[in-house]
This record gives sequence, C-alpha cells and structure tokens, in this order.
Amino acid sequence: MKKKVLALVLGLFLLVGCGGASSSGDQEPVGMSISTLANPFFVTMKESAEKEAESANVALEVLDAKDDVAKQTSDIETLVNKGVKVIIVNPVDSTAIKPAIEAAQAKDVKIITVDRSADGVEVSSHIASDNVAGGTLAGEYLIEKLGGSGKVIELEGETGASATIERGEGFNKSVDGKLDVIAKQTANFNRDKGMTVMENLAQANKDFDAVFAHNDEMILGALQAIKDKDVITVGFDGTDDALKAIEAGDLDATVIQQPDIMGSEAIKVAAQLLKGEAVEATIPVDLVLVDKDNVADFLK
Amino acid sequence: MFKNKDISRYTALIAFAVLFIALSFMSSSFLTTDNLLQVLRQISINGLIAGGMTFVILTGGIDLSVGSILGFSSMATVILINSNLPIPIAIIIGLIIGGLAGVFNGFFIAKMKLQPFIVTLASMTILRGLTLVISGNKPVSVASDSELFTKLGQGYILGIPTPVIILIIVYIIFWIVLEKTKFGKKVYGIGGNEEVARLSGIKTDRAKIIIYGLIGVACALSGIILASRLGSAQPLLGKGFELDAIAAVVIGGTSLVGGKGKISGTFIGVLIIGVLGNGLNLMQVQSDYQDIVKGAVILLAVLMDRFKQD
Amino acid sequence: MKVEFKGINKSFNGVQVLNDISFTIDGKIHALMGENGAGKSTLMKILTGVYQSDEGQVIVDGIEKKYTHPKEAEKDGIIFIHQELNILPFISVTDNIFLNKEITKGIFVKQKEMDQQARSLLNELGLDIDVTKEAGQYSVGQQQIIEIAKALKEHAKLIIMDEPTAALSEKETVKLFEIINNLKKQGIGIIYISHRIEEVFMLCDKISVLRDGSFIETLMSEQTTRNDVIRLMVGREIVDIYPKKLPYQDDIVLQVNNISKINKYQDVSFELHKGEILGFAGLMGAGRTEVMHGVFGSDPYDEGSIIVNGKKIKNRIEDSIKNKIAFITEDRKNEGIITEFNIKDNIIMTNYDSIAKKGRISNKMQNQVTTEYIELLKIKCSGLQHLLKKMSGGNQQKVVIGKWLNINPSILIMDEPTRGVDVGAKQEIYSIMKELCEEEGISIILVSSEMPEVLGMSDRVAVMHEGRLVDILNREEASQENVMKLATGGNNNV
Repeated sequence: MKKKVLALVLGLFLLVGCGGASSSGDQEPVGMSISTLANPFFVTMKESAEKEAESANVALEVLDAKDDVAKQTSDIETLVNKGVKVIIVNPVDSTAIKPAIEAAQAKDVKIITVDRSADGVEVSSHIASDNVAGGTLAGEYLIEKLGGSGKVIELEGETGASATIERGEGFNKSVDGKLDVIAKQTANFNRDKGMTVMENLAQANKDFDAVFAHNDEMILGALQAIKDKDVITVGFDGTDDALKAIEAGDLDATVIQQPDIMGSEAIKVAAQLLKGEAVEATIPVDLVLVDKDNVADFLK
Repeated sequence: MFKNKDISRYTALIAFAVLFIALSFMSSSFLTTDNLLQVLRQISINGLIAGGMTFVILTGGIDLSVGSILGFSSMATVILINSNLPIPIAIIIGLIIGGLAGVFNGFFIAKMKLQPFIVTLASMTILRGLTLVISGNKPVSVASDSELFTKLGQGYILGIPTPVIILIIVYIIFWIVLEKTKFGKKVYGIGGNEEVARLSGIKTDRAKIIIYGLIGVACALSGIILASRLGSAQPLLGKGFELDAIAAVVIGGTSLVGGKGKISGTFIGVLIIGVLGNGLNLMQVQSDYQDIVKGAVILLAVLMDRFKQD
Repeated sequence: MKVEFKGINKSFNGVQVLNDISFTIDGKIHALMGENGAGKSTLMKILTGVYQSDEGQVIVDGIEKKYTHPKEAEKDGIIFIHQELNILPFISVTDNIFLNKEITKGIFVKQKEMDQQARSLLNELGLDIDVTKEAGQYSVGQQQIIEIAKALKEHAKLIIMDEPTAALSEKETVKLFEIINNLKKQGIGIIYISHRIEEVFMLCDKISVLRDGSFIETLMSEQTTRNDVIRLMVGREIVDIYPKKLPYQDDIVLQVNNISKINKYQDVSFELHKGEILGFAGLMGAGRTEVMHGVFGSDPYDEGSIIVNGKKIKNRIEDSIKNKIAFITEDRKNEGIITEFNIKDNIIMTNYDSIAKKGRISNKMQNQVTTEYIELLKIKCSGLQHLLKKMSGGNQQKVVIGKWLNINPSILIMDEPTRGVDVGAKQEIYSIMKELCEEEGISIILVSSEMPEVLGMSDRVAVMHEGRLVDILNREEASQENVMKLATGGNNNV
C-alpha cells in the first residue's frame, strides 16, 4: 500500500513538472528540430529563432533531438503529423537525416536545413556558415600574429564529426608551409577534456607558440592548463564564455558563427515559404573573427 | 619474493609497474615531477568517484548516476556561489546535495528493493535533466574571485596540488572505514551474501542507504574540485564518468558480484587509467586508437583477475 | 551394466585421495557410502570422465574405458545427477530436458515435438506437469524427476545419484524410490550416494563402503545391519549416536503466545525451558520453518507476542539478537554462511562488537575469537583463512554454530542442523547440543525432518500440521507412530 501511494505521488510530481508546453493561436505552424540543446551554440540559435518567430507571427515548435539520430527522425515525423508546413532541421547527422527529410517532403512539407547540411537530398534552403572558411580564418589570424612562423598545437573535436573535419581542413590548409602544427589530439569538444589533454600535451611539448581548438569549450579548458604560458589561443563558435574571456584578455580570439543570425534567418525563410514566395537555395551566414578589438560588438 | 599464492594479489600493481616503466622509456616527458604531479591531479577526479564506487560494488551494487550527481552538485554549487552565498556554505550545500542524491538512490534500492542498475540509470537521467534546467543549458562561470574556491582545484599545499591532498585524505579515510571498522565488515558481509548478512542481524538496508549517500558525497566533492579547476560548471560535466570509475574498480580487482575487493586495488586501477590516458596523449596516439588501448587494458585486467581465481 | 574398478589411484597436489581402489558394481541399486572426504565423489568423477585416474583401470562391460569428458561417459549411457541439480530455473521443463540437444528442422526448433516427448518421458516417471512452464516453478523433488527424464532421454544404462533426497520431503522421497525401483526393473543400474543409512537399507541391494580414500568392503544389504555399516564407515563402533542429556530446569526462558501469519501458520503457542531441547516435528510445508522465522523476526508474525525471560520483545532480528536468541537456518548455503569468505569473516558476522575496541576492528581479537570456536567445536581447517566453500557440510555447520555462539545465546533455534552432514560430524553436533544445554544452560529448539533425530534428542516434541501446532508430547509419549499420526492430521487418541 505504502509503495503504491509513493508511486502515485511520484507520478503526479513528474506530470506536474512536465507541464507548460507552448500554445498557439491561428498562426501558421513551423517546426524546428535541433540536434542538441545541451550545447550553448544551438541554444542561442533556438532563442533567436523564437524571438524572430514572435515578431514574424509564426507559431514555432522546437524539438530537441538530444544528439540522437533516431529521436530526430521521430521528432520530424511528429512535426509532420501535427500538420506543420515548414520544418527547420539542424541535423544530428548529415547522412542519416535523408530518409526523414524525404518522408516529410513526400507530404508536402518544406525543409530548411541550418548549420549542418543534409546529404543526398535537395532542400528548399540551406542556411550555414562555412566551417572550412572558419578554419582558414583562424589559420590566417595565427600566421599574422606569429609573424609567419611558429609552433602550433591543435585540439581537435570529436573524431569523425563534420565540424572537426572541416575546421581542421581549413585551418591546416591555410597554415601549411608557414606554421608548424607540432601536435594534434582530440578533446571531444568538451571543456574538462580540453584541460586534461592540454596539460598532457604541454608536458610533451615544452615549446610552442599557439593553440587552436575546434571549439570554444576546449580552448577554455586548455586556458586553465596553460595559464602561466604566454601563447596565442584561438577558439571557435563565439560562446558567451569565450567572448568574456576575450574581453578579460585570457583568450586571444575566436571564430564566431553567429548562431543568432542562423536562427533568425531560418525563420525569415520559413515565413517566405509559408507565403509561397521563392527562396535562395543557400544562404551563407558570415563568419567573423573576434578578438579584443571587436569583441564589444558581440557581447550582449 | 612473494609466496606463490600471494603474487596474484598484486596483479594490478604489477600491471601498473609494467605500464609505468614502459611509458618512462617510450616518452621522455613522462617521468618528470611536473608530469607525475599533474597526472595525480588529473586522477583525483576519477579517484574520488571510484573510491565511492568501490563501496557500492563491494555490496554487489552499481551506481551509474555518478557522473550526473557530479554534474548536478557542481552546477548547484557554482550557482550558489554566484548568488553570493559564502563559499564554504555553498560547498557544504553542494556536498549535501550530492549526498541526498545518493540517499535517494539508496532508498529505492534498499527499501523498495529495486535493482541498483535500474534505479541509478533513472537518477542518472533525472539529474542530468535537472542540471540542464538549472543551468539553462549553458556553462556557468564562477563569478566570485574567491581564492578559497580557486585554490580547491588549482592550488598547492607544500608543493602538492590540493586535489591530490584531498584524494589521499579521502582514501585513507575509506581505507580505515573498510578495513578497521564494523561498518566496513558489514559492507563485505552484505556483498558476500545479503540474506546471510540480514539474518546475522546486520541492518542491510541502512548500510546500503549510507553507502549510496557516501558515493554521492564523493561525486559532489569531485565535481566541486573539477568546477574549481575549470572556473565554471558545465551542463554536461561528468557525462560518461561512470565508465572510468567502474573500470578503475574492476581493474583494481574488486569483484562485480560483491564481497571481494580492496580500496588499495581501486587506487591502483585509478592510477592505471590516469597514467594510460596521460601516456597516450604524450605519445600523441590518435584518439580512436586510444579507445582501443583503454578497452584492451580493461579486458586484460579482468582476464588476469579471472585466472587468479582458479 | 557392469563397472569394475581396478587399482585406482588418484592424488591432488601430492595428497592421496584414492588409494588402490578395486571393486565391482553390477546392475541393480548399489549404494556407495562413506564419510565426507572418503573419496566417493572423486571416484564417481573418475568414472564419468571429470577427472582421470593416476593409475588403475575402469572397465565398463568388459572394455577398458578412459573417459576424458563427461560427454564420452554419457554416450556409453553413464549419467551423473549431481546433488546440486543442473536445472535452469527460468527456462521451460522441455527446454531443460532438451538443452543443447534440441530437435530441429534446419535452423528451427521443433518445439511441439519436444514438448510431446518431454511429456511422455515424465509420464513414464509418473509426473504429470505442464512442460511449457519454467522449471524453477516446480519443487526440488519434481526437478529431480526432470533430471532423471533427461538421463532417460540419453538412454542411460547407469545413473549415479549424489544425495538425491537431501532436499526432498518424505512424500517426494517415497515417490523417488518408486521411480528408482522401476528403473531397476527396466535393467538400469543405479549408484546411490547417501548419508542416510535408513534409506540405503530400504532401497539398495548392495552397499560398498569407502573410508579415507580406500575401499573397505561391499556388503549385501540383507545380510548386514546399520551398525555394521556405520562401524565400517567411521572405523569404530558407534553405540548410540544420540547422547543422554540431563533433564531441563523449570524456568521458562521463551514464551510464544498465539502467533499467526496469514497463509503460513495460525495461533502457535509454546514454552521453552532453561536447558531444554524442544523438538519440532512435522511434514514438509507444515510451517515449522516459517514459525521459526516468525519467532526470530526475520519474517515477522502478523499477530501474537513473544516473551523472553519475562520481557515482551519486539519482533525484529536486532531485538532477537539483543535478547540472546540465535537462529541456525535450514538453508546453510543461502542463509547461513558466505561460501566465498573464510572462517574468520563468517564467525564474526553476528557480533562485530566482540572483535572491536571503540568501534575499531582488532585483528588480534578476531583471531582470538575464531580460534576459540575452532577449538571448542573441533572445526577441521587449515587455519583462520580457510574458505568455507572448501569445507565439508559438517564443518560448515560447525562454523554456523560458532557464529551464533558468539552472541552468547540463551536460546538457540536449529533448523535441520544435520542436513547434508556425515555421520561422524552429526554425532559431534549432537554432543555439542548436549553440552550447551547442560553446561551453558542454553535452550534449544530443534526443527528436523529426521524422525530418529527429533525423538533421540528432544526433551519434548512439538508436532505441527498444516500451520497449526497440534500437540506437544513428552519424551515418553513421543513414539515414531504417535508423532507421525499427529503430523499427518490424525488425532492422538492412543
């Protein structure tokens, strides 16, 4: 008996805790499936999309795929079944998303991809910044700062992820023949790993001039490991923490992806699609290199 | 040197020695005071969790929620610090939160007779979700410039990193509790055969709740140290940490069935995992190969354990 | 099937366990007797290919065999049913019988055909159960029959049974004997390993006795007596294995008042005197064990009360122990000892205070306490670190007794204290019980399914039937016949 009561109370507690979903009037519904909201980058994207949706009078429903390909597929099915006309997709995986997109398009739902593209399927519009270009931007910054030569350590993202491949490619191509990349190790895009790996690499390589990390989380971790070293540090993404670190003089630069622009652009395109207007097939969102000189423009 | 039978008790230690010597030859940067102190500082995180995990596994249980407890209590502590609570109080509350999360696990396991695997799997998910909620899915930096908090993870005492000192103190306490107190004997008894223990008059439920509470506190401490080192708390901090902790305990020779194992073995297990990660980084082995090596070492350790039983 | 052993020698790590064993087993039901460690199971393991002998020959139906694996022996129709049954509890009866020998068509299992065959095999053995249900749902007796069916499916010619009745009720035992006798009529030979001498005389045609790794003698059971066999087994004459005990005192130490637990027992009341042994007799399932769990608090009663030395106590394990009640449960392996632990760590489990100073465990005290009980109870072991799993049943039981003596009990509940214990150790346990009563003034509740044991040891005998305590008989009135009548539901108008 006691157990039953407890189970009931718990169940009720959970139900109450989960209440409060979004409501909508007679606005046109738009769906958004985001790879993961555990990453600040996508949170920014989502928040700006929501803001834009409000002013554009679009009813936006956002679902979090939690970096799970299967969940994203069913999320998209759910949105289609709810009768949305446009879905903004930020794919967990560029290849695996294809069937879900095709199924939605078969039911006359228009698809917009954001940040990551969908392979082997044509979508109404793709909004992204070019990761390869971003890598190049970081490389060029370091070449300039180091005066054309020097030793660099590269902290890579998760092995096999498209961001890792593209950012690495752009960076390595641009510094090839000028800077010497003396060590490359993955730190899985996360901060505590970035710190540990940097600590270890700093032991193996006493002498280096700069560190480039494939995202801000890793470079922020690395900063903790090399506080007392005078080296140039560059991250990627432009998260709030990274911007603050630039302002404080701890971090030298980051490449900013402008997720807020991606989010608001996506809603604008969606609104056009709803009205039946034609849209651009690809909409590039500029990458910007942020350092001490222009950081003030990006701090909220 | 050892009696034939005794040598088996030192398999983990021998494995560690072999690894240590091999790495000293393979990388010139390995055998330096700086690097070794740094490895010790790195392992203090996993070390604290694995120490608590040893108790849990000795009773025949398992705790999958350690990473989430670590994430939640570190996030809560940083938020409390940022709301201008005095640092020591924020830390103590953080530790209490970790302990309560553990007691929550223990209650369902002991009193409701649910499987530890399921209960902690559930609380792992719940606590991770709560962490995302209270953090708003974003990292939270420590706003205070408090020396006290920074020192916890980054400072040194007599040239030794503070986390290492904390780790050693905690392990000494754990060792005394396990080897020298009635409570320790009860832990082994419960793992050996819970029904026998219960019929012998041991309050098995209470002991289990205490043990899960204990690992919760250990995780919180570990999380607070990590937050201090990073100067911030991350929403996903601690994700996957349960694997390294369980691996360390198993490499250290503690049986997953319960009732058999030593805290000293776990310490060696933690060292092996830590030194391995450090060494592979030093030698710049690609990450995919690192995973293969780590998996192989775990398998090898369990195999050696298997042979020594026969 | 005729099996001849010729000059079998076997040693492990330099210790000779079988010494020049030569004798013949032919058809019929052949008992193999001997104390634990006499070499019975080693010899049977050599016969079935689990071990290989160092010297000597095993000749099966005139042909010398050197089995290297039980599978090879099975092919010749020699099947070993171990004491710990090889039944997988969570798969169906059929799947147990056909495990790894499924009838298949291509990659598919022909379940219906297997079910049918399983059913008819079991029907032949007089067991009518649903073969599609999990085997674990059936009683140990029924599982035993499932094992026999498994053996018959392999066209067994010789079945070896190791202590098959150890966990059976009397009814089930009778049933098993019927089956064994039927097998004999079909020409299947049985080697029957047992400590229970009564059974051996009831069932077996011949009895071979081993002692300390040597073959002693093969006797025709019709031409010998129980005492002869026991004498051969222990190597000395045993006059009476139940010691004469002094009468108990008048003081009441335990008073159980009308305790009840739904579906288990109703309205049970009795008194226990200082220095008394109160026997509990009854059939399996009469509720005796359940009442003991109620008294001890390990499975509390719903109603009633318990008074210890004039004081009403709470029905919890901790309070029972505090009030000096000890409980040796019937299931030694799952409730009494931790087999993976050594003597030391088993003995101290009931009372950590006995080895601790200010909360700190003292190794020295632990060694002292353990040594004391090893000497007192004459536990055979290589030292304090001796693992329980490497001990005989009798010695394990002594460890359990030691573990409970460590709380200085005034009331000792013993549930089937001599189950799976050989004759020599049994006698030792009886004399320990006598000494505890006479010298320490301890009172004992003895629950046992062995009628001679209950009658031989008890001052008074309580008889239970279907959850009720029907009567308590004095030693003089407690005859086998009277007790049996009460236990089976008849009234006591003798």
